[in-house]
Amino acid sequence: MAENKPIGTVLVAGAGISGIKAAIELAETGYKVLLTDSSTQVGGILAKLDYQFPSDHCGMCRMLPMVGREYSSEYCMRKSLYHENIEILPFTEVVSVAGDAGKYKVELKKRARYVNSEVCNELGKCIEACPVETADEFNHGLTTRKAIYKSVPHNVPQLLLIDKSVCTECGECVKVCSTGAINLHAQDEVETREVHAIVLASGVKLYNTKEYEDAKSYAVSPDVVTSLAFERMLSGTGTYRDGIIKRPSDGKPAKKIAWIQCMGSRNKRQNRDYCSSVCCMFALKEAVLAKEKGGDDVETTIFYMDMRTFGKGFQQYRANAEEEHGVRLVRCRVQEVVREPDGNLRIRYFDPETNEFQIAHYDIVVMSTGQIPFDDHRKWAELVNGELSPTGLLATEKYSKVRLAGKQGIFMCGSLMGLTDISEAMASGIAAAGEATSFLNAIGTDKVSFEDIAEPVTDDRQLPKAAVLLCKCGEFAGAEGIDLDMIKTEVMKHRGVGTVHVVNSICSEEGQKEALDVLKKAKCNRLLIGACQPFMYRRKVRDIAKKAGYNSSLVQIFDLLGIARRGTEEASKLAWTRRTINEIKADLESIKQKPALHVQSVPINPTALVVGGGIGGMHSALSLANRGIPVHIVEKSGELGGFAGNQIAATVDGLKPMTMAKDLKLKVFEHNKITVHLNSQVTKTEGTLGAFESKIVSSGTDQKTYLHHGAVIMATGGHEGQTDEYGYGQSDRIVTQFQFKQQLESGAIDLSAVENVVMIQCVGSREAGKREYCSRICCMWAVANALKIKEMNPDVRVYVLYRDIMTYGFLEQYYTKARAAGVIFVNYDLNSKPQVEIADGMPVMRFTENILNTEVEISPDYLVLSTGVDPETSNTELAEAFSLPLNNDGFFSEADSKWRPIEFKQIGSFLAGVSHSPMPLPDVIMQAEAAAQKAYTYLSGGSINTARVISTVKDALCIRCQRCIAACPFEARSYNAAEHRIEVDPAGCQGCGMCAVACRNNAAEVSGWSDKQMMSVIDAKLADDLQPSTAS
Amino acid sequence: MAKFSKLAFNKGELNNQLSAFFADLLEKNAVDALLAPMAQPKKGVMQTLVTSKQNLSGVDPFAPVVPVNGARLASSLTSNPSGKKIGMVLRSCEVRALVELVKLKQANLEDVVLIGLDCYGRYENTDFLKLRAAGATTEDFLENAQAGKTETDGCDVAGACKICEFPTTDNVDIRLCIFGAGQGTLLIEAVTEKGEEALQTAGRKFGDSPAGRAEAVKKITDARVAAKNAAFAEYRNSTNTFDALNERLAACINCYNCRVACPVCYCKECVFVTDTFRHKGEQYIGWASGKALKMPADTTFYHMTRITHIAAFCVGCGQCTSACPNDIDLMPIFRTSAEKAQGRFEYLAGRSLDEPQPLSIFDHDELVEVTGQVK
Repeated sequence: MAENKPIGTVLVAGAGISGIKAAIELAETGYKVLLTDSSTQVGGILAKLDYQFPSDHCGMCRMLPMVGREYSSEYCMRKSLYHENIEILPFTEVVSVAGDAGKYKVELKKRARYVNSEVCNELGKCIEACPVETADEFNHGLTTRKAIYKSVPHNVPQLLLIDKSVCTECGECVKVCSTGAINLHAQDEVETREVHAIVLASGVKLYNTKEYEDAKSYAVSPDVVTSLAFERMLSGTGTYRDGIIKRPSDGKPAKKIAWIQCMGSRNKRQNRDYCSSVCCMFALKEAVLAKEKGGDDVETTIFYMDMRTFGKGFQQYRANAEEEHGVRLVRCRVQEVVREPDGNLRIRYFDPETNEFQIAHYDIVVMSTGQIPFDDHRKWAELVNGELSPTGLLATEKYSKVRLAGKQGIFMCGSLMGLTDISEAMASGIAAAGEATSFLNAIGTDKVSFEDIAEPVTDDRQLPKAAVLLCKCGEFAGAEGIDLDMIKTEVMKHRGVGTVHVVNSICSEEGQKEALDVLKKAKCNRLLIGACQPFMYRRKVRDIAKKAGYNSSLVQIFDLLGIARRGTEEASKLAWTRRTINEIKADLESIKQKPALHVQSVPINPTALVVGGGIGGMHSALSLANRGIPVHIVEKSGELGGFAGNQIAATVDGLKPMTMAKDLKLKVFEHNKITVHLNSQVTKTEGTLGAFESKIVSSGTDQKTYLHHGAVIMATGGHEGQTDEYGYGQSDRIVTQFQFKQQLESGAIDLSAVENVVMIQCVGSREAGKREYCSRICCMWAVANALKIKEMNPDVRVYVLYRDIMTYGFLEQYYTKARAAGVIFVNYDLNSKPQVEIADGMPVMRFTENILNTEVEISPDYLVLSTGVDPETSNTELAEAFSLPLNNDGFFSEADSKWRPIEFKQIGSFLAGVSHSPMPLPDVIMQAEAAAQKAYTYLSGGSINTARVISTVKDALCIRCQRCIAACPFEARSYNAAEHRIEVDPAGCQGCGMCAVACRNNAAEVSGWSDKQMMSVIDAKLADDLQPSTAS
Repeated sequence: MAKFSKLAFNKGELNNQLSAFFADLLEKNAVDALLAPMAQPKKGVMQTLVTSKQNLSGVDPFAPVVPVNGARLASSLTSNPSGKKIGMVLRSCEVRALVELVKLKQANLEDVVLIGLDCYGRYENTDFLKLRAAGATTEDFLENAQAGKTETDGCDVAGACKICEFPTTDNVDIRLCIFGAGQGTLLIEAVTEKGEEALQTAGRKFGDSPAGRAEAVKKITDARVAAKNAAFAEYRNSTNTFDALNERLAACINCYNCRVACPVCYCKECVFVTDTFRHKGEQYIGWASGKALKMPADTTFYHMTRITHIAAFCVGCGQCTSACPNDIDLMPIFRTSAEKAQGRFEYLAGRSLDEPQPLSIFDHDELVEVTGQVK
């Protein structure tokens, strides 16, 4: 390994979920990350959401690494994040960015918190003492807080801070603070750091009633709230109590709740000609939750323009919300909300069901507020000297959603790209990390490397004997905090302790040398280490221990300074010391009872198999090959490029897929790390974790090839759907949207002779028993073709019959443009589908025009059907060959629809693009990049470790009642009928311990967490037998 | 729906008639074997397994005694199935425990024809032997019980039986009914198709539904429920602190008889006899530092562990109390905690084979107010 290469370092600006995901991916790959957030906390918007659809639960922790769990600290993500390669800097702003590609100097301003979290005991006496009360922004002003406060109610550790904008500097908090943690005169600190790459993940500002005039006609009462504020009304750490959703004005239970969609979005007059993409699903989820949390008698109504359920599983969620939960959807733009004298909120709306105006009253009106992105984009453009697109957004490289145009080494992800749902935030975070990794690789930076120290062999028959190592942390702990001498004396008396040693500073090289020396001489077999920030040094400390002959599983590290302070009422050196001794004894008991656990290192074949040679597949392959990973592409047709790369010349937003595919093909064929197998299919895959063998059969021949690989990326794509509805096949004037596009482009249609064109959307889609999903791209295709017609002959009347126009995000502008160009959009629903008859070989149409509510009969020259996107037919055989799951629609099922969209539950298997669900090309490419990154992190390590902490079965005790199987949330347990025993899949088990709870007699046990051990710990904690006489 | 077949008997002939009925079941191959309470050659009445009618002479299913809860026996006979069809004559508490064991995969009802009994309660084993020695018969007991009197010669049925709200037996194929059947009559009810088929095979003819049975059952049930409520209230009042519980369990010697007698304590080896509870000497010394340590230790802990282990399955048979050599009345502890625990999950042990047992499935959506999660 070259000595002089610097460790690749990346600034991730913004610690919402996409930033966190990018940071974790980079850190897992071996790079250093500075993760900043301008707010006081990490977690972004998601820190406020207790529940997310489709499961209506949290699940944020699912974004943590699933393999190599031994080396990352895994905690509830809504509480905090720890990783040894990530430096977290909340309340920090990026002030300036200087330098060029690969050599950026960033100036960071750490804002003063006025409370030193190193000494704060988090008991909150200061909060009680503070006389200043102000609105709590975490709960959107629904509750109040003090000037000194905890910014997120559920964070661990709790970092208190003072809001200087309301603080009167009365000094009450300083008086009651027994630890001297408060400094009212603390200053902001500015520091300059050097980084090689930057990921912008700051999210965007949200529309609000304070700043924007057009919100005023709605925000007439405190009971009109934003969707995020409503989220806090459903949370136990917000205002939700005892099954009551409280109306903010008077605290009464809210029983009638309305949502108004598109607040601040889809408004050209206000220069906001975009859709905010996530609000429809957000409102549906909130409406379902409102019923569940507020009682069955809660009535929920969503007033919407188009219900944009374009993502995977969204349509089913909508159907479920309507059918199972009785959420009412009304297609109508509400113009205003009026507050009645009794406080109720009146909404007048046009009811499309009755074709009449109606008046309804509500307890709460929720405004589904969207994004206000331009300020943030302008700010970043100025900071990084980036380019702005004509729309006013940071320009990205063509086809890329994450690479900033002309700015090498700067990427973006998450809601800065336009509001994203969780899965897109995840995919974009991974993709940005992937691009950054490729970049760091290309400019020649190094990864954090670790010595590979062999795990010492242990002798289980030896009596447990523990060494205790305490770090003085300079002089600080000894002088001001705890009495290390007393700890040493007392702990030495504890049975089974071999030595207690105090080092000056274990994070220094000198301290480490000293520790190694002491540990070698001590001849113990257990090790307990007390130091500050134990999460940060885990690996380093374990390595020292290994060198000294201590098995990693028998090393425990604890927070020496924090353990005593947090929650200790009495702030005296003696109290802290006694508490520390007690905790050390408990830890000693735990470690004494622990058996040595062993990790298996499983070698991985660092080769990837990409199934599908479309644009996505080729992108993944190149991304991996460019980083040195050998790749096989298996393509069932005789040509790379897939549907888009071989058939689509141009898209409405100016992309040229065929040109791009040509370029990619060239690169793929030229690359010496990529092997292409055309006319080939995978028929069988066998093997174990990290070492698979796939059988490839060439079509039309008997030729069989066996490929060996450690990872697989499914990039199978899809194709245009088939239909027999609306007279398709009975007239050559009835064509699919794609056929029409081709005929338009080839000049096969003479538009000068055409009067009417009718397009029908959602043909055989979003309908029970057919394609039950939205194909996401058909609306854009219709808009593009309609615009094309109008461009070529403005006199052609174009009708688009639609159910919901799915021009989400900034695609909305093309929809606006089409309407401005005179394209007529007519809404229909499943109960009133358009009627088509054939007369003289030509289609004759009847449908209801919904504004005038009249029946229209038209004989179009062309009837164009948007037939949706079908999954690749070979998915079924591939799913079987690879043992990967498909959903009901025939697309592959990812591990978790929100938090793990790019990977399968089966470790080492990933998916990208249309094999996941229909999506436009830039999203395919983003997922392809993300899948490549996931595969890269996994493959580049060379081996993976099985988890140390997994559950086990003691056959002699097991009665085979199989309760553990039912209780396992990871399906890692099974009953082997032939051998009549319970089996655990060590790769699937995540060590959660549900089986151990279900099991009565410890036949199921999580290794290293035995009852015996826990009882000893409890005993030790309860004992507190340190007599005051010895303590004084 | 349900079909009834009348079995008339003259005084002193009940067991003979039942013996003939069971003989028909065996002889006509409605079942291959029969497990039923039978008088033993020397003394006592025990569950007995027979495969031919020659061995049915001791049949005495209504004898007011349950030496062991038959669910355990059913488990032994069926967890490794014999492939033979077995008729099992069991009471309500036995069948309800068996339902739990089936769900715990410790028993299998595929080849079983369950024959349930109406139950006026059982005597403690020693009381029963004493009464039998003094010449008391099953028919005497039934006659007295029908008149509302279960006490004889200073002996009464078990405390658990007095507050048992399930005097009839559900989840069976055939029911032997005496409630509301009238003097000298026993009704054989076909409850399921399987039961009806078995009875038809045995040559039984079906007749009218009995009048007055529902009313008789209701009367008994109501009285028992009232007694239960009163007993629970009394127990909860008197045992409402940890100290009170400790006191109630003070005589415990860790003999683990209650666990052995319990039909739903189904572990092969109890955690209390494994290494988990083989404490080290230093631990005992630690517990004794500064205070007196009663030994054996872990007695209250043992019972509390058992509460957490079986509260979801407890059917209230009272065998724990019967098994205690030191007369600790354990039944109310388990019945009251079971009522709370099962109520919490809207579960009732023994009610149905289809309801999943609490805590046996991974369910995000329960105990909302505890977890703070929705649904």
